[in-house]
Amino acid sequence: MSMRNREWPVALALVPVLVLVLAPFAWLLVSSLKSEAEIGRADPFEWPAELMWQNYLDAWQIGGFGELVGNSFFNVAGVVILMLVTCAPAGYALSKIRFPGREWMFYALIFGMTIPIQAIVIPLYQVLSGLGLVNSLAGIVLAQVSNGIPFGIFLMRSFFTNVPDELVEAARIDGASHFQILTKIFLPISTPAVMALVIISALSTWNDFFLPLIVLISPDVQTIPLGLVRFAGTYASEYRLVFSGTVISFLPIILLYILTQRRFTEGLTQGAIKG
Amino acid sequence: MAGVQALDDTASGAAATAPPRKWELIPAGHGNTGTAFWLMAPAIAVYGIFTLFPIAVTFWLSFTDSAGFNTPASFVGVENYRKAVQDPIVWQALWQTIIWLIYHVVLAGGLGLGLALAIARLKRSQVFFRTAFFLPHLVSLAVVGVIWANIYDPFFGLLNTGLTEIGLGNWTQGWLSDPALVLFSVNVASSWQGFGLYMLLFIAGLQDIDPALYDAAEVDGANSWQKLIHVTLPGLREVMTFVMSLAMINGLKGFATVFVMTNGGPFYQSELITTYIYRLAFQAQDHGLAAVLCILLSLFAITITIVFNRWRARMAR
Repeated sequence: MSMRNREWPVALALVPVLVLVLAPFAWLLVSSLKSEAEIGRADPFEWPAELMWQNYLDAWQIGGFGELVGNSFFNVAGVVILMLVTCAPAGYALSKIRFPGREWMFYALIFGMTIPIQAIVIPLYQVLSGLGLVNSLAGIVLAQVSNGIPFGIFLMRSFFTNVPDELVEAARIDGASHFQILTKIFLPISTPAVMALVIISALSTWNDFFLPLIVLISPDVQTIPLGLVRFAGTYASEYRLVFSGTVISFLPIILLYILTQRRFTEGLTQGAIKG
Repeated sequence: MAGVQALDDTASGAAATAPPRKWELIPAGHGNTGTAFWLMAPAIAVYGIFTLFPIAVTFWLSFTDSAGFNTPASFVGVENYRKAVQDPIVWQALWQTIIWLIYHVVLAGGLGLGLALAIARLKRSQVFFRTAFFLPHLVSLAVVGVIWANIYDPFFGLLNTGLTEIGLGNWTQGWLSDPALVLFSVNVASSWQGFGLYMLLFIAGLQDIDPALYDAAEVDGANSWQKLIHVTLPGLREVMTFVMSLAMINGLKGFATVFVMTNGGPFYQSELITTYIYRLAFQAQDHGLAAVLCILLSLFAITITIVFNRWRARMAR
């Protein structure tokens, strides 16, 4: 773009905006290391006399964060694996195999993309309850995968469509099955699409609140966002616990993001634009 | 992974019987249809049970007097629709959802666009700013609700204590208790989380604009304002409509921040369609009325999607 020489004025102008946008994080981090008495003095610019790391130990134990983190990991892993298992083959069939009613099937499968999850919550709860899946991580995984399938299929199909048909023809002539073509040829060359699907479904699952709120009732099966809201409600008057618990709940994903920043950004952007 | 194994068997079975001809010339025959079906079967099964079936049942529920999860329901015609039209809270929630959505598009979309325009010009510090500004988007909206409920805390929150400390004590507000302010305050929290993704999409859109257009504009003697109006913004049109539809749908789905921070209060002043659905479905147990709102919410989302898809299609031509 033009005006490449204007790097530093623009960067300097952005700094105060960045300070404002990130102020909530800074305030939380500092407050989470204060004693209850220091928080009570209500001065956000005051540095804690002694860094109270104890707050984190207390919040971790009282809030049962070990269990919450474990549940969240299981939840994310389940959704990511099932998303790939359901969406990659379907995306392949809908882009590379001709069969009657293909268009119709495609539109039926992506129709759900327009329906907000809150709009189907009553029967969804009934279905989960009928299958004995309320209060289970398996139930939440299935509901979240179903909610993600339209996007996942759309994404995989639009990526697979751009793979030349000749590749399929050549492999068919060599006697490969469609399933082999998918796993041996299409998936290995589709890393960007697979990464996008993994990143987008992992992030939205890790952060999901609505479905866990409905499905995960007892504390021992809950995931981090729901667990934190319950914790913050129970210990609302103990600010030091609420603050340190909040930091615990967003720290893992932020560290992961900073470590994988470039891939993460690419996957998210590509996925959003394609989807 | 028994399911995958089964898929593999079926697929290779079909391949063994399929004649090794140019596959495109094969008329949609039995073998291909079968293979396609098995490849789609896992998706169809999950999606059919947990999405399509619930959509159909929601439609049916809206014509019944269902009053709980395990109670028999009977057909009551359009009674729930009549009830919805007469319920003042439905109208309030609908109106507030529209306001909420506009706030979100303006605050999150506007901030995302503004930052993208600045950041896309940077070379060496671009990755730093892009990464740093994106951080709020990684936080769950529910956690954002907890964070901002504390920021807005009248006595210990960052906002009121900070304003007092810098000598602006008379600017302090009951951010979440003032009925005129609450919807805006909660939306700021939501938009703080939302703008990062829009910013990334705008940056990607800006990088797709042909640099030759800027050179041409420069040759014509355009200043930076003219370049923004005549090159940058027209080049962003497609991303702009996409981000707008995304922001509107995200706004429409707004739930977690409101639920956590105010639960729709005070006096329903921050009630949205989604929070009212939750209240009706899981607290008041009025499933008939809740189902009507579910259909309203879906129609809203479908309309936004269709309008913006048409718009984008027309632009692409």
